[in-house]
Amino acid sequence: MSYQEKSIAVSLVSHLLIGVYYLANLFQMQQAGGLVSTRIFSLWAVVIVAIIVVNIVSNILTHILSNIIHAIKTGREEEERYIEDERDHLIGLKGDKVSHIAFSIGVLIAMLTFAFGQPPLVMFSLLILSSILAEIIGDLSQLYLYRKGF
Amino acid sequence: MDKYKVRNNVRKLRFNHDEMTQEQLAEKAGVTRQTIIAIEGGKYAPSLELAFKIALAFDVPLPDVFSYEPEGDEK
Repeated sequence: MSYQEKSIAVSLVSHLLIGVYYLANLFQMQQAGGLVSTRIFSLWAVVIVAIIVVNIVSNILTHILSNIIHAIKTGREEEERYIEDERDHLIGLKGDKVSHIAFSIGVLIAMLTFAFGQPPLVMFSLLILSSILAEIIGDLSQLYLYRKGF
Repeated sequence: MDKYKVRNNVRKLRFNHDEMTQEQLAEKAGVTRQTIIAIEGGKYAPSLELAFKIALAFDVPLPDVFSYEPEGDEK
């Protein structure tokens, strides 16, 4: 598994955990009597900040862990050779494209719920959910392309 | 119009160059070993610049490494 694949796998797991956390909180709120604006705003803030922080931290962690594993395997302290070549860039772009399409569909569904009479809080909750799902789908498509070759 | 595909002789050229490893070729061309594997397997068609770099690594002209042929034709 290349460094890029490891990094995407870590990002995928983080996004899945954030998604589960978000959904669990949403269902909890729904069962406690519906969406409350003050609680849901803080939940959105936590989720959005978590996505940004997790993306940065997961990259750093993958780099450090890969170097440690490389040092253990080879018995030398030199850093592993990390190159991002044209294929990596193309896979990244394709992943972004898939992610944008998924997010656009999510936005459309969120707008439709609003158009059919659901409160704005539901629409915005779906927007946040679709952004998390879009990240997950983007990660999965990149992993698929790496496994397939291109 | 017939469908065309980029074919390559990377495996054969590596063999002819003292069984050069994929890692060695990757280092010479400035890419990852995974990219060399994808090119060799015909799954990824490299950019013109990378194609030239690979040809330079083998010290042969570009048409000796890559060719553009109809999809059905197998050598």
